[in-house]
Amino acid sequence: MPDLTLTKVAKSFGVNVVLHDLDLHVRDGELFTLLGPSGCGKSTTLWSIAGLHSPDRGTIAFGDRVVFDGGRIDVAPERRNCGVVFQSYAVWPHLSVHDNVAYPLKLRKERRPARAARVREVLELVELAHLEHRYPHELSGGQQQRVALARALAYPPDLLLLDEPFSNLDAKLRERAREWLRALQQRIGVTTVFVTHDQDEALSMSDRIMVMDQGRVRQVGTPEEIYQEPADVFVADFVGTVNVLPGRAAPGANGTAQVWLDGLGLPLVVPAGAGLDGDVRLTVRPERIVVHPSSGAPADAVNVVTVKVRSRAFLGDHYRYVADLGERELVVRTLAPVDHGSELIVELPPDAIRVFGPA
Amino acid sequence: MTVTAEPRPGAAAPGSGRTRRPRRRFVPATAGHYLIWIVTLVVVVGPVVPITLASFWSTPLYRSGGHLTLGNFRDLLTDPAWWSAVGNSAAFAALTTVSSVLFGVGAAVLLTRTNVPFRRLFAGVLILPVMLPGLVLIVGWMAMWAPSGYVSSWLEINTVLWFPVDLYTLPGMALVATTVAAPTVFLFCRTTVLAIDPALEDAARSAGAHPLRALVSVTVPLLRPAVLNSALLVFAVSFEVLGLPLILGFSNDITFVSTYLYDNWINAAPPNQGLVSAGAVFLLLCVSGLLVLRNRLVGDVSRYTTVTGKATGTRVVDLGPVRWPLAAVFATVLGVLVVVPLAGVVMSAFTSILTPYITPWSVLTTANFAAIAGNPIWSESIVNSLLIAGVGGLLATAAIAVVSVVAHRSAFRFRGSLQQAVVWPRMMPGLVTGMAFFWSFAILDPSGAVRGSLWGIGLAFAVRSLALGYGVFYPALAAIGEDLDRAARTSGATWWQASVSVVLRLSAPAMAACFVLLFVSMLNDADPAVFLVTDRTPVMGLTMLQLAATSTGGAVAAFGVIQMVITLAVLAAGRIFLGVRAHA
Repeated sequence: MPDLTLTKVAKSFGVNVVLHDLDLHVRDGELFTLLGPSGCGKSTTLWSIAGLHSPDRGTIAFGDRVVFDGGRIDVAPERRNCGVVFQSYAVWPHLSVHDNVAYPLKLRKERRPARAARVREVLELVELAHLEHRYPHELSGGQQQRVALARALAYPPDLLLLDEPFSNLDAKLRERAREWLRALQQRIGVTTVFVTHDQDEALSMSDRIMVMDQGRVRQVGTPEEIYQEPADVFVADFVGTVNVLPGRAAPGANGTAQVWLDGLGLPLVVPAGAGLDGDVRLTVRPERIVVHPSSGAPADAVNVVTVKVRSRAFLGDHYRYVADLGERELVVRTLAPVDHGSELIVELPPDAIRVFGPA
Repeated sequence: MTVTAEPRPGAAAPGSGRTRRPRRRFVPATAGHYLIWIVTLVVVVGPVVPITLASFWSTPLYRSGGHLTLGNFRDLLTDPAWWSAVGNSAAFAALTTVSSVLFGVGAAVLLTRTNVPFRRLFAGVLILPVMLPGLVLIVGWMAMWAPSGYVSSWLEINTVLWFPVDLYTLPGMALVATTVAAPTVFLFCRTTVLAIDPALEDAARSAGAHPLRALVSVTVPLLRPAVLNSALLVFAVSFEVLGLPLILGFSNDITFVSTYLYDNWINAAPPNQGLVSAGAVFLLLCVSGLLVLRNRLVGDVSRYTTVTGKATGTRVVDLGPVRWPLAAVFATVLGVLVVVPLAGVVMSAFTSILTPYITPWSVLTTANFAAIAGNPIWSESIVNSLLIAGVGGLLATAAIAVVSVVAHRSAFRFRGSLQQAVVWPRMMPGLVTGMAFFWSFAILDPSGAVRGSLWGIGLAFAVRSLALGYGVFYPALAAIGEDLDRAARTSGATWWQASVSVVLRLSAPAMAACFVLLFVSMLNDADPAVFLVTDRTPVMGLTMLQLAATSTGGAVAAFGVIQMVITLAVLAAGRIFLGVRAHA
């Protein structure tokens, strides 16, 4: 199973630059996710890999087979041997489940007995063997999606490409399909590129994630790295919820810095490398903020602030408070309601705070 | 990295064929695309070249010698008869447009959105003329509503009523034309009315508007693009119409642009071929200009784009007691415009003479049909038309399907121009198409082998019907998600394989619908044949037109009945077996 390498791939539509010299390497057998808001270039990247779009520049290689190189090499999609699952599934309505899956094998001149055996094998893999003779309109959305997957895996492909495959499923089914697909991918070990705008999907399924914005790579890393060590405020904000607090920093004691927020009397203590100075932005995840009882915080706690509660929302498994922190809004997340009047005593632990440069 | 030890499913089965890649095609798809592109341009746009050349050449192109000249245009533009023809055509087109827009829009709103009784029946009768061959209706009008017609005479003899319009005048001709043109406006507007999200009116109602007020202040303004679009189309088509003035304009010597060209070709000895070519080029420019203008004006369509949310049925506005008088008005108007003329065709066809002084029952006859069967040219024309419609319709359908797929589903560099090329013949008046092919054949095929065969006429009819067929085929093609052919490509299919096994396969029902409509259109077409027909290749539409222009006898009506029966039978079969709608 080859790895996948994109080098300086660029694409524009008219004046609109969709990809800025994108570099990307997907390892053999890895599930690699392209994550970003709509219009960030993730689908264009996927389609460039599949050969359905031609980039303007750059190279794309499957292992050591170059499938695209500037204007010189552009292997047609039918010769790239990718399995693609489309957002719409694109299951052919005029063919039965069996014939849908058999189509790529027919094109490859697979003989009839071997073909039938292979179709059965793949359908068993996606747990649809009993529906072999049904037509797509007789299937549920989840089943159609599995037909699309079986078709993509039939030949078998060098690369599996998934374009937001879960976006048309309802919430419950989506969660199950995620686990199922992840387990299947690990079992067969096919190198997979997965496109989504859903951070939960990306975090729960991927070996590695690439966060994209406006045609540029913002960060590549494991789900834990992306969530806990975001490379910039965009990544922190796009993956999960985060409080972004602009302020001014000055050096403090013992390798820390002090940051003054607008409208807040005391500075916050943040961990800092050498020479943190001037305008900064702090980020704190809501679930990392500690809420103390009205009797007050322990004596050794730092960054303890009393904030005014503006609203409270109950979200089933947690409560979400929006409070005023100086002139900014602070979102705090707790498992139990902490109702002591209109004020909260919160602690922003220094190790929960990340510091970024000004916007 | 988590790759388990379990074998890949592909590795489990024996046989090495699995990893084989699809074989490379020797002929790349692009070569096929270029071939289709060139053929399309030559057949569709090519014929305009010789006609333009002929208009600037001093002698007919098939004769040697001659030189470039502006003489043809000078002769044309200094001929007072030409200018009176232009004036007549313009006045006629304007009258027809105004009356059909008023009637068509009114009917579209009233018959789809209000509770006028029998509205489905009225709508069905109203659109009947679009499906029928145009000449049939004219023959019926003459039989019934001409000054000496059956019903107009009967009214004068037996009642105090009389038919207020003289058919042999400009307003009379415009009235007949309205019968055919109003349904066009109706269909354009009805589609729009049905597509408008009822929530838009609901919003007006919740803002305090009465239902009728909401209809008039929200829905009717949203019709503007549809009205403009259909009005310009009606004007352009009326400006070039041939059959109507040839039959009705004759007695009062009212010449239109089309009859001017017809006379100077058919009745002049020798034919003024240069003059007629110049006139055709003039006509082409006018009609093309109008249709280009239409595209410009309709422009800014996004202003009228209504986002549709969940599908909900259309709401019906209650008109109260007013609906009964309205129904009476519809019944009267449709009776006069459609039902009586159609009855007239049938009555004239089956009687030896149709007059209020003799009861039709006493003069019943099948002699008119026997006359057609007995006349070799007449009966041959029916066979020829069926051949052209059947074979030509099939070939044209195949061509439309392939060209549309290249134009919309390929990465072919010039696909945009293919889309234009398919719609372009719609701008060509039928007479111009016929003459363009006449000159093309004269240059490319001096032996006359193609021109003298049915293939020549069939080709001209087919090119003329391209836009119609494309109009039916394209929406179905667009409805087939592009992911479906992309999925085939990534599965290993070449462009042609994906197109054949997925796109064309899925659009088979649309191809069938396209064939039905092309069959009907080519069966009844007449105008392009004027310049192409020979003694050995008569076609039904033209034979009937020439017969109608010179006599009013029962034979014309019998032809009309035959035409009508074949047309309705084919359409009904299409409707029943394929769900084809004649006014898609």
